[in-house]
Amino acid sequence: MIERMLLALLFLIGFWGIVGIRNIIKKIFGLTIINNAVVILFILEGSRIGNQVPILEEGIENIVDPVPQALMLTAIVIGVCITALALALAFRLYRHSGTFDIDQIHRQVHDVT
Amino acid sequence: MRSKITGLFLFQVFLCLVTITLVLIPLFWTDIPWPTIARDHMENFGMAASGARNMVSAIYLGYRVFDTLGETIVLLVAVSGTIGIIAHGGDVLAKGFGDPSRNESLYQEKTTLVKKQRTALLEVVTGKLGPVVLVFGFYVMLFGHLSPGGGFQGGVVVASGIVFLALGGRADGSTRLTEAGVLAKLESISFLLLILASLSGVVFGGGFFANTLAQAGMPEVGFIVLLNAIIGLKVGAGIGFMCIAMLGRAE
Repeated sequence: MIERMLLALLFLIGFWGIVGIRNIIKKIFGLTIINNAVVILFILEGSRIGNQVPILEEGIENIVDPVPQALMLTAIVIGVCITALALALAFRLYRHSGTFDIDQIHRQVHDVT
Repeated sequence: MRSKITGLFLFQVFLCLVTITLVLIPLFWTDIPWPTIARDHMENFGMAASGARNMVSAIYLGYRVFDTLGETIVLLVAVSGTIGIIAHGGDVLAKGFGDPSRNESLYQEKTTLVKKQRTALLEVVTGKLGPVVLVFGFYVMLFGHLSPGGGFQGGVVVASGIVFLALGGRADGSTRLTEAGVLAKLESISFLLLILASLSGVVFGGGFFANTLAQAGMPEVGFIVLLNAIIGLKVGAGIGFMCIAMLGRAE
């Protein structure tokens, strides 16, 4: 229970980073934090049964569930893709506006149009 | 006007939080134990069916290999998009900001500032550490069926080795692994190899992603090792390419 609470807190920290902070790079960090919170939640829930790594050496039994781990492998790769794309977009925005602040970028767009 | 917009924003944040709470509360208050059926099946039959000791590798390269193919395609698209946005597609996006070169001088100024911050320590350490990291990455990649690791994990370690070499390399360069063109070709070739490996079963009368190596008399696990190596090369080249582009060496 307490682990789930802490993970929810981590999720909410990431959420706050996305909606409450003006800097684009920190928004992307928030996205990554949310992604990691979900990944850790899945790994944690999968490890509720068993206490050994899912590598079947001699004498290993009572392993954790390997299915969530394989699932989260996919999620991690997709998270890397999202982060890279978002950073590339932030780079473009910075190159043409000179700032990472979302308010200043908004103002510049407003001035042009 | 301003306070109205702020109020609307806070209301939206409140709605988001309520939605998140509604989704998460059942997850927190549940007492239902995690089902053991998948774990028991993997523990009893997984190694006999796939030949791999590492059950995670057995799942993502055996039971669920279609998902892995889709994942590599997503990675390929993300790398292409990132490279396109960073290196080539700037003018399209810049139209929203009027003159594209308006703040170019500011950007150049800050870039030269970053270049001045490179020290001899960074270059020496990363240059020496790069080959070691590359070897470790290939170890993680090729032993993914026996130990923790696999294609994706080994691939990102290889990518960090490539970044180390790029950070520490001199201008003359003893390796071509840090050139963007070489990495792009490597990634395309590995993706082609992955498609060929997935289609190879069709020639021998099996299905898509059928285990051809087992039909040819080799151990069952050979196909997993092959796929791990191909995926590791592809991920390493792709993410390395992306990092090299972000270091500003794609042009």
